[in-house]
Amino acid sequence: MLTLVVVALVPFLYTVYLSLHEIRHAQVGDWAGLANYRTLLANPRFWHSAGISLLFVAIAVPLEFGLGLTGALILNQGVRLRAIIVPALFVPTMMAPVVVAILWKIMLAGSWGLLSYNVIERFGILTGTSVLASPSLALYALVLVDVWQWTPFMMLAFFAGLQSLPLTPYRAAAVDGASDLQAFRRLTLPLMAPLMAVIGLLRLIDAFKVFDTIFLLTGGGPGTATESTSLFVYKTVFDFWDLGPASATAVVIWIMFFAFANGFYQIARRRLGAF
Amino acid sequence: MRSSRVILFTLLAAAWAALAIFPVLWMAAMTVKPEALMFARPPVWWFTPTLEHVHYVVAEGFAWSLVRSLMVAGLSTLLIVIIGTPAAYAFARFSIPRRDDLLLFVLATRLAPPVALVIPFYLIYARIGLLDTYAGLILAYLTFNLSFYVWVLWSFCRDLPPDLEEAARADGYPRIRVLLHVVLPLLRPGIIATSMLCFIFAWNEFLYAFMLGGKAVETLPVAVPKLITSQGVKWGELSVVGISALIPILAAVFVLQRHIVRGLTMGAVKG
Repeated sequence: MLTLVVVALVPFLYTVYLSLHEIRHAQVGDWAGLANYRTLLANPRFWHSAGISLLFVAIAVPLEFGLGLTGALILNQGVRLRAIIVPALFVPTMMAPVVVAILWKIMLAGSWGLLSYNVIERFGILTGTSVLASPSLALYALVLVDVWQWTPFMMLAFFAGLQSLPLTPYRAAAVDGASDLQAFRRLTLPLMAPLMAVIGLLRLIDAFKVFDTIFLLTGGGPGTATESTSLFVYKTVFDFWDLGPASATAVVIWIMFFAFANGFYQIARRRLGAF
Repeated sequence: MRSSRVILFTLLAAAWAALAIFPVLWMAAMTVKPEALMFARPPVWWFTPTLEHVHYVVAEGFAWSLVRSLMVAGLSTLLIVIIGTPAAYAFARFSIPRRDDLLLFVLATRLAPPVALVIPFYLIYARIGLLDTYAGLILAYLTFNLSFYVWVLWSFCRDLPPDLEEAARADGYPRIRVLLHVVLPLLRPGIIATSMLCFIFAWNEFLYAFMLGGKAVETLPVAVPKLITSQGVKWGELSVVGISALIPILAAVFVLQRHIVRGLTMGAVKG
């Protein structure tokens, strides 16, 4: 516990401390109060990045959620060969972000990429360059990658939930002559609701903070077309050495995540009885 | 009727799994694809395999990055098991003041965005000289992995019936022996599964390794950009590195399976 306090709390408090000071050339200067926060909130680039993150999450997470639930219902129909299918589905989720990036650079490479040639060019969406270099399409390409990587996980998590549902209510429903659709709406959905909330919230948190794949695939570009909040923080620190506002951003993000985490904890505990 | 339904859904699920795994297979093919065919339009599906990319990667010393990755991930996982196991057990069994708040703190550490954590780490390390050291990187990995480990193992601890421990205690065994001879053997599957997941996270990790590591502690994910040279990107070589980073993961996935869901949902869903 003490170790955890040292490795997690100390950096956090240090960030709060930094965010309240004037910082020049990595030297902590005078007390600045909330000036860094004001600079941050006045920076259009920060708001732009928040918008990008929100857009990314708003498209990717519902897609993953819906497809994942559909997939879980498919898996739950007594599918055979699960010993092969399930591990295959886990692979994208467990893969290093670097490998994901290499993979999709190859698939989406301009002109010779498998997907670029066979799908994107064929349907005349974009020719000549990679979608990752297109200001209007790069973000959707990143959404595609995220959906590819995380839908199978959502699917398996929902599947695990479906498998642990009690059988008795379904037998009772069958005796009463309920249709499959009715059983799904009246039994599966309510029984699964807390679980779906927990899994959805967790995915929301992870999708919101995604950094590695975006950093490696587009680096936030072209321009700032895919600059999510995580990338904005990274760039303010390590490209511009603007530590004051960057620490302020980190603190803002942290507080937000603490709220998210609390939500996850409360739902998982109260409704799911998990903890 | 029933069996044709099962076949239909099996085919659907198999197609889905194929979609998930297909890019990986395509990359695997790239590792032995001759340079000349790589940029062919339309993309070539059949070719005579070559080992030139593998030779290049070996000659460039990427094996050392592999060893460094193993060391960092292995040592940090070992440290986490040593520190985390008693912590998780204590959370499950002892009444700790403000336990819920502490647990929420553990969870929040896990969920916090790494990009916000790496800044203070970088600045503190720059000041005390831990940049580009094994100790520094291993310590930094504790932030997300230790909290993950404690949290998930805690969920395993709660599944243990307390009766066995109480019986052993009633027979007069001291607490430490109960821990070593009763609790640890029962917890072993949980410890193995959770620590394997920790190992994977450390093995895959990019941002910390990129910012806090460097030349001396260059893990495999960080070594990758070296293949993007001024003469262009070495795609075949990139694929070789990608596949070698993937192999331990593939092995682990087969072993872990059910535990992955439990781990990745922080114990909220029992796989």
